[in-house]
Amino acid sequence: MRLIRNFSIIAHVDHGKSTLADRFIQLCGGLEDREMQAQVLDSMDLERERGITIKAQSVTLYYRASDGERYQLNMIDTPGHVDFSYEVSRSLAACDGALLVVDASQGVEAQSVANCYTAIDQGLEVVPVINKIDLPSADPDRVKREIEEIIGIDATDASRVSAKTGEGVQELLETLIRRIPPPKGDPEAPLQALIIDSWFDNYVGVVSLVRVVNGVLRVGDKIRVMSTGRSHEVDKLGRFTPKSVPDQMLQTGDVGFVVAGIKDIDGAPVGDTITLDSRPSPQPLPGFKQIKPRVFAGLFPINSDDYEKFRDALAKLRLNDSALHYEPEVSGALGFGFRCGFLGLLHMDIVQERLEREYELELVSSAPTVVYEVLKTDGTVEPVDNPAKLPPQDKIEEIREPIIIANILVPPDYVGAVLKLCSEKRGVQKKMLYLATQVSLQYELPLAEVVLDFFDRLKSVSRGYASFDYEFDRFQAAPLVKLDILINGDRVDALSIIAHRDSAYARGRELVDKMQELIPRQMFEVAVQAAIGSHIIARATVKAMRKNVLAKCYGGDVTRKRKLLEKQKEGKKRMKQLGHVEIPQEAFLAVLKVGRK
Amino acid sequence: MLTTPPLSLYVHLPWCVRKCPYCDFNSYTLKGPLPEVAYLSALERDLESQARGLEGRPVISVFFGGGTPSLFPPEAIGRVIEAARRHFIFAADAEITLEANPGTVERGRFEGYRAAGVNRVSLGAQSFDARQLEALGRIHSPEETRRAVEELHAAGLSNFNLDLMYALPGQDVSAAVRDIDAALALQPAHLSHYQLTLEPGTQFAASPPQLPEDDVAAEMLVVCQERLADAGFAQYEVSAYARPGRECRHNLNYWLFGDYVGAGAGAHGKLTDCTTSTVVRTTQQREPRRYQAAAPHAIARVPVPARDLPFEFMMNALRLTQGFEPGLFTARTGLEWDAVAPVIARLEARGLLEIAGELCKPTARGVRFLNESLVEFLPEKPVLTGNPVMSMGS
Repeated sequence: MRLIRNFSIIAHVDHGKSTLADRFIQLCGGLEDREMQAQVLDSMDLERERGITIKAQSVTLYYRASDGERYQLNMIDTPGHVDFSYEVSRSLAACDGALLVVDASQGVEAQSVANCYTAIDQGLEVVPVINKIDLPSADPDRVKREIEEIIGIDATDASRVSAKTGEGVQELLETLIRRIPPPKGDPEAPLQALIIDSWFDNYVGVVSLVRVVNGVLRVGDKIRVMSTGRSHEVDKLGRFTPKSVPDQMLQTGDVGFVVAGIKDIDGAPVGDTITLDSRPSPQPLPGFKQIKPRVFAGLFPINSDDYEKFRDALAKLRLNDSALHYEPEVSGALGFGFRCGFLGLLHMDIVQERLEREYELELVSSAPTVVYEVLKTDGTVEPVDNPAKLPPQDKIEEIREPIIIANILVPPDYVGAVLKLCSEKRGVQKKMLYLATQVSLQYELPLAEVVLDFFDRLKSVSRGYASFDYEFDRFQAAPLVKLDILINGDRVDALSIIAHRDSAYARGRELVDKMQELIPRQMFEVAVQAAIGSHIIARATVKAMRKNVLAKCYGGDVTRKRKLLEKQKEGKKRMKQLGHVEIPQEAFLAVLKVGRK
Repeated sequence: MLTTPPLSLYVHLPWCVRKCPYCDFNSYTLKGPLPEVAYLSALERDLESQARGLEGRPVISVFFGGGTPSLFPPEAIGRVIEAARRHFIFAADAEITLEANPGTVERGRFEGYRAAGVNRVSLGAQSFDARQLEALGRIHSPEETRRAVEELHAAGLSNFNLDLMYALPGQDVSAAVRDIDAALALQPAHLSHYQLTLEPGTQFAASPPQLPEDDVAAEMLVVCQERLADAGFAQYEVSAYARPGRECRHNLNYWLFGDYVGAGAGAHGKLTDCTTSTVVRTTQQREPRRYQAAAPHAIARVPVPARDLPFEFMMNALRLTQGFEPGLFTARTGLEWDAVAPVIARLEARGLLEIAGELCKPTARGVRFLNESLVEFLPEKPVLTGNPVMSMGS
């Protein structure tokens, strides 16, 4: 046990976490050179494409240190995007220490600050690492000061490395072994293994990544999942190196995978505790805080026959994405589907893309919204995650919107632009602090404004230099109205949004203009209107198409003409039929595209 | 029940002086002398071979298409017609059409074609605006078109068609109408009026010219159709207009899902075999030299799956403004009307089709939006199985 080190790497997107992880794997001989695919750890296609980590994963490495001992290093990956901060605390729960990796030219970013505090809160030893020292723009001394000033940890001995060239990486491994403590735990105590992650494999069923906190887990053991009370026999145990390498047992302090013939996808929930059937632990481990989704949207299969398949797919995704919530929803416009809750728009985007790619579903989504609280005239308070479900106007006393606290770090040159953006987004400044190289801002912002496009805008007004992190604070009453969209006179429930009264007119205008752009011309004119209550505030018309016919058709080859018609037919299939009007998926997301121009 | 439909003959002559940038037909710019002898003898072998099994079926029409058939001298056309007559029987009033390019017909040539048996000509006028002709890569001038038409009248070939295109690069509505007026002044019997479209694989598709907006093109169509109607030209198909009785019988046979033998490089044919209740499509080697070398074995025969027949029938028959009798559907496809009745009813409800008396026909709107109807007849994509081909019997 004294030779085990469990650690995570905390880093902002692009600060070189994956490259550093790859370098560790290489140094410890986890993979042959020819097996080193660029960035091994980001294994989901989506992760590699977007260059971000979404899911926690682990790699076990063996390192012969200068003291002559062979150490087992369990590296547990953490996601780096603001939407996925909850995953971070989950990964950190399995660790005893963390490397805080900061880009030597970019400096500290808000996301890392937040994650670093989470690590410190969880009692982890944080080891600062300044990466990318090979870059001409690198300024390790400035970054060292930033770490001390912004995060408040001593960075005198911060490791200076270049994951790209390998410089300092070996020394970093030595520092890691010296500074991060070995796991604590009692090998003689009843088994307690924390489920860090679970996913469904079509061949073996549920696979769980666990950290053995107390006791020992062996192949053939009868285990009990404490929340379900159900027992299973362990078929397989092992570690990822990152290849999966089977073993006979996982000891106290180990991180590895367990396969126990669990076919039911709810059989091993993340955060649960595994114990032995024969000698159960009296207490489960504390587990994880339940995450509340903040952004909701309806997802509907374009082909209504896919409903069952869609439900199964959601259940499988939910298994290792506990932040994903869903319940059945029926929309007048879109039919049968699910109301899904997400952490943010990126999360929504990723879930939808995974459903479409991995489960071959074609989906259409309604306009995303945050959760509001409605105080009704009878004094009761009702959460509303769907604008279509807003109580009638005369039953509403007030509508309250979620307010977040945002922490922003930005170089002084861009402070003006960021302040302007925050005030445009109805932000209230709470703090502003000039540090050596960056300005730290704290704002209260309505979540609805943040969800819309805040992150992209922040990046663009600061040329990518500003970073931010946020947490939910409270619900607060605001003058909010329901904005409806009517297509040829019919209200489309899936397109309703809740908007601030001051911006409702402008948004209505932009929305109908955007819809007009996105709805293809049809055989008849299509009127798009925006309304507040019965009051029409904007209107646009999609002109009728005048003809749709092939100019020539003689006895020759019909295959090309046929293909053209098949393409038209496919295009129609991908659209949702509202009355006689065919609406493409993008039109339902028009609400996200307004205000960006 | 499937019955034997009328039979036509299509002969493909694939060469042009220059390939037009919009053209997606199987045509080739002629480099060097026309390989007349070799190609004609391949055609003769082809005709002889394809005639087998079609004994007793009269040919109601012949169409020489291309390419530019008028690159071939009258004697060559005569030789093909003679060969066809040797192997097929011709109906007494068989329509024999030759496509001609106004830039390739010297004086006296039409008399020769007429003497060889041609009784109808389709002339590729395309436009009467010299600049447009140049933009379209045509080798002829408006004057040459007028001269060719004089020749046609002089040769007694007054049953001729003019091909015209509209929605040309930079064209406005009045320019499109001027082209119609110029065409009408030449007293044609028939007018084919096509919208210029960018077809994949053409030079125009690779570097597209600036074409008029859809709304402008639609407006051109409306105004041109009025002009044509006033001049006594009735629209009988999406792009075809004729004086009464001067409809192209050859094309009508395509649109009524009749049979046709396709001879020559890349030619397509369609033949009904009532003994096996199948409709067969034939295709030939596209490349002329390969065709010449392989004929009569340059042909491939593929039966049309029954599930594709409703679509293929409608794709043709619904182009006709007069539509068709439901009985024709059964006669040509061997399928009961029930196979399409639900779709027909849906399209009727959408105002795209109507059942008027004995006829099922597209409404005026249905002609303009024909694709909207056709997609409804497309079969669902087949599920691929391991063994798509099965042989029956021994």
